[in-house]
Amino acid sequence: MFDLVAQSILSGIGVGAIYGLIGIGFCVIYNASGIVNFAQGAFVMLGGMLTHAGMTKLGLPLPLAAIGAIAIVALSGVALERIVVRPLWNRGSTMFVMILATLAAQIVVERLTLIAAGDQPRTLPVFTDLPPLRVFGFAINFQFLWIVGCSAIVIAGLALFFSSTKTGKAMRACSINRDAAALQGIPVSRMLALAFALSAGLGAVAGILITPTQYTAFNVGVPFAISGFIAAIVGGFGRPLGAFMGGILLGVAQALAIVFLGAAFKNVAALSILLLFLFVRPTGLLGSAK
Amino acid sequence: MSASSTHSRILEVEGLSASYGHVEALRPVNLHVEEGELIAVLGPNGAGKSTLMNAIMGLVPTQGRVTFRGRDVPRRAPAAAAALGIVLVPEGRGIFAPMTVAENLELGAYLLSDKREYARRYERVLSLFPRLKERLTQTAGSLSGGEQQMLAVGRALMSEPKILLLDEPSLGLAPRVIEEILQKLGELNRQGLSIILVEQKAPLVLKLARRAYLLSVGSIAAEIDPRTIKSHDELAHYYLG
Ligand SMILES: Nc1ncnc2c1ncn2[C@@H]1O[C@H](COP(=O)(O)OP(=O)(O)O)[C@@H](O)[C@H]1O
Ligand SMILES: [Mg+2]
Repeated sequence: MFDLVAQSILSGIGVGAIYGLIGIGFCVIYNASGIVNFAQGAFVMLGGMLTHAGMTKLGLPLPLAAIGAIAIVALSGVALERIVVRPLWNRGSTMFVMILATLAAQIVVERLTLIAAGDQPRTLPVFTDLPPLRVFGFAINFQFLWIVGCSAIVIAGLALFFSSTKTGKAMRACSINRDAAALQGIPVSRMLALAFALSAGLGAVAGILITPTQYTAFNVGVPFAISGFIAAIVGGFGRPLGAFMGGILLGVAQALAIVFLGAAFKNVAALSILLLFLFVRPTGLLGSAK
Repeated sequence: MSASSTHSRILEVEGLSASYGHVEALRPVNLHVEEGELIAVLGPNGAGKSTLMNAIMGLVPTQGRVTFRGRDVPRRAPAAAAALGIVLVPEGRGIFAPMTVAENLELGAYLLSDKREYARRYERVLSLFPRLKERLTQTAGSLSGGEQQMLAVGRALMSEPKILLLDEPSLGLAPRVIEEILQKLGELNRQGLSIILVEQKAPLVLKLARRAYLLSVGSIAAEIDPRTIKSHDELAHYYLG
């Protein structure tokens, strides 16, 4: 029993890291604009699907296909900002309208993917095809190490970007006071496009890392987006590190619910965590950013 | 530097108006600033002083024309206005409170990439406001009001502006601190920086400005030499007609 619990906590951490990456994507756009981007799930789905397409249709090796997919998804993030968000923004639309528009964009991308690629689920090969490592009797598969390692690198990279680069600081300035940032000569709208690119790229990375352990299809985006969204709320909305911790918490809770209560309780666990935080600690683990 | 007198006007504002929804907060306004001049914009609360500053920068939708040394200042593009050398220290300072003092100054020089020039400006700002030097690693929000205002001015100076606009820098500060800040502004002006200083209280700008525009309910009511104003009553006369 102990082994089973420990093993499922481990796999919960892996899935939770993915939720965390998606949650960070929510935070980056929210901080830059105040918008909750519900098209976040589309980026996750496109990451896996495009990598698969790159490997099967173009015969690319996995690393190239993955990098290509991340780049294309990041560009589609910019496209979302330019085509959907910017026109509404310039017209002075309410936040609610812009959030609904991102939800509409999610549906459009999902349906277009269905038309282009059909509804069959696909998967990616594991990145390192070796038998699981045995550590103290636990099986640790390599994909878990890839997920945790890549997440750690991405988060460290983001932290460095926001704390040490001029562009990162300028993005933070835009989220603190957009007008004051513009008065310093900071191109505010370009920073917003960059936030969408970053966030989309994060979603793609999450989608690529998780696909070998599950599958991907046109409709996997929404469930991932919901989990990432819950992770972001649990972490304190707008707090990237909090979102990551929230993701891990969520992943572990789901894994334990599956072990003790059965697979049907996976979503119950997620919503229970959400409600628990909304009632007991609405500002999340780290306190919300705004 | 061109010595020709055709470019003696650094800033020219022609028929500039601005509205919030259907409310016209600024009726068509004309004003100008000569090279190296410090002018004041005076007016009671709600007269439209901040709207005028924001309109010059293009932070609010406007009609009319703003030219900088004969070149059109793009509308609705404050970053482009800043790139031309027009920099506003907004009402309420607009510092980035959660960031450090050093980061705030760094963002003031966002458009500059030359490291040595950056170091020169940094030294210059810190020698003008030595108090900031002791607080470089503190968050800007932890500074006193006066220090925050110095930071806001220092941040603006990091971009080496050609004309500096200040919207009520005295707001909420103790008289002694106001005195200190105004004295620094006078010093900057003597070094050749053109300045528009917005204030509610005329006595504050008497020593600094040779010309002042009086703003009243969104229009320029008069252009005066503030030194000729002897008392508040006399100023009130302009507002009451
Ligand atoms: N964001 C805004 N929305 C609507 N009305 C505004 C806004 N800002 C200012 N106003 C109105 O415009 C007028 C001028 O305001 P303002 O420019 O702030 O004056 P001042 O800076 O001289 O105190 C006032 O009547 C004010 O109520
Ligand atoms: Mg004002």
